[in-house]
Amino acid sequence: MTRISPETPAGAATAASAPWSIRLRDAVVRYPNGVVGLKKISLDIEAGEMVSIVGLSGSGKSSLIRTINGLVPLSSGTLEVGGHRMDLARGRELRRLRGQIGMIFQGFNLAGRTTVLNNVLVGRLAHTSVPRTLVGAYRQRDRQLAFEALDRVGMLERVYHRAAHLSGGQQQRVAIARALAQEPGIVLADEPVASLDPPTAHAVMGDLRRINRELGITVLVNLHLLDLARGYGTRLIGLRAGEIVYDGPAATATDADFERIYGRPIGDQDLLGGQSAAPTGTPA
Amino acid sequence: MSAAEYPGLPAKPGGRWKIWLAIAIIAAITAVTLAPGIGVDFSLDAIVRNWRNGAEKIGQLLVPDWSFFPRTIEPLIETLQMAVIASVIGAIVSVPLSMWAARLTNPNRITRGLVRTILNIVRAVPDLLYAAVLVAMVGVGALPGIIALVLFNVGIVVKLVSEAIESGDPGPGEAARAAGGTQTQINRAALLPDIWPPFINQALYAFELNVRASTVLGLVGAGGLGLLIDAVRTFYRYDQLALIILEILVVVVLIDWASAAMRKRLK
Repeated sequence: MTRISPETPAGAATAASAPWSIRLRDAVVRYPNGVVGLKKISLDIEAGEMVSIVGLSGSGKSSLIRTINGLVPLSSGTLEVGGHRMDLARGRELRRLRGQIGMIFQGFNLAGRTTVLNNVLVGRLAHTSVPRTLVGAYRQRDRQLAFEALDRVGMLERVYHRAAHLSGGQQQRVAIARALAQEPGIVLADEPVASLDPPTAHAVMGDLRRINRELGITVLVNLHLLDLARGYGTRLIGLRAGEIVYDGPAATATDADFERIYGRPIGDQDLLGGQSAAPTGTPA
Repeated sequence: MSAAEYPGLPAKPGGRWKIWLAIAIIAAITAVTLAPGIGVDFSLDAIVRNWRNGAEKIGQLLVPDWSFFPRTIEPLIETLQMAVIASVIGAIVSVPLSMWAARLTNPNRITRGLVRTILNIVRAVPDLLYAAVLVAMVGVGALPGIIALVLFNVGIVVKLVSEAIESGDPGPGEAARAAGGTQTQINRAALLPDIWPPFINQALYAFELNVRASTVLGLVGAGGLGLLIDAVRTFYRYDQLALIILEILVVVVLIDWASAAMRKRLK
């Protein structure tokens, strides 16, 4: 699956930029309606890590992910991504940093009525001028990156299809290609498989693991199913009520650890099932 | 009583008095507007008194003057040209304005409020009034008609399309923002593709309204069939007026039918 299109030399792989680290210090997120998303979190994520973030809905895992690319602003504290102060970035600088961070959403967030290619080219907006965007005249290099990203997730054949005509799993792959086309240093995924059936969920999680391993990109994935979190992440962060309650290797996290994160006994509803995709061996 | 109907059935919610109150208020307003002295001078006497006059006119209207047809062709085509030109210009102008007027595509409260306020004012003025003022400004002819129709069009299309944008999916825009796009880039690359269908739908609807409106704008000197209507009406040629009305009817029905067919295919 690591096909590289023949026009491009192998050196120009999709992740041209080096992977980025993330550094949060005393990060607080308080929403305008008074709800606290994050309570003074400090966290270091090294470049190239694959981190599963688990917690119940409302635990702050969505706030954490969205803070990292500035979609949710910090109320206090500091945030560095790849050595740049994200919390201080505004305007052009903020857009430039966001351009280096890919994001994958639960609902895919594709423009349904346009082509797969146009959707993937959205990943090149930070590198495209406004006039070029307005007339849809993307540069040849940006189109190449889009083709390459689609090839990598096995969706090159569908390049001229309408996004809405694809299945859920295919749409999520196009969304991954959109993130890859950014040549990102970090990829954030917010519940990427929550609307997919189990086999498709494993396939999409496999894609995410591959971009982490083969391209070295730092990957953060929000999940609520513990077998996916254990099987695909190398590091596991558990959030509860806006605080980090677990931080350790994913493979050795026990059911008791999950019960502590969730604050209740775990059961079948916390497992996806399907094919076991953990190469490191699933703990009992 | 409810317990008898079904055991455990909760009591019916109250509030039916509100409906009766609404009916009472409407009845009161109607009574006041009809009251002699305060209300409009409205009585059915006029119909009874002038029925012979009315019947005569209806009789003339029932016999169209077909020989008048060649003289109506040119104004009819002018009317359609006005409607087409105004619809196209109005549609083009409406695309950016709709995006500036919707929160999803313009998060800036100040510029959004400004655009919305201006459009509310534009929409509040009737098209015939625009035409009358514009005729005084730029002279008799098709031009004031076209400008009046464009203003009328933009008011309607922007309101309907910006509402359609608001009810749309914010997801693609969020993805484009996360990828580092400016608001203009987000609107163009991620949101515009899904806005096209409601936009074309409303633009076609506005075209239908334009065809109708353009037939009467000439009454105030703004070109098209209206000028001719005004002329034949002045000379009491109801047989010729009948022909014009018939032509408008056919054109409007044809355009409505074609537009409806196009909108159906769009879905």
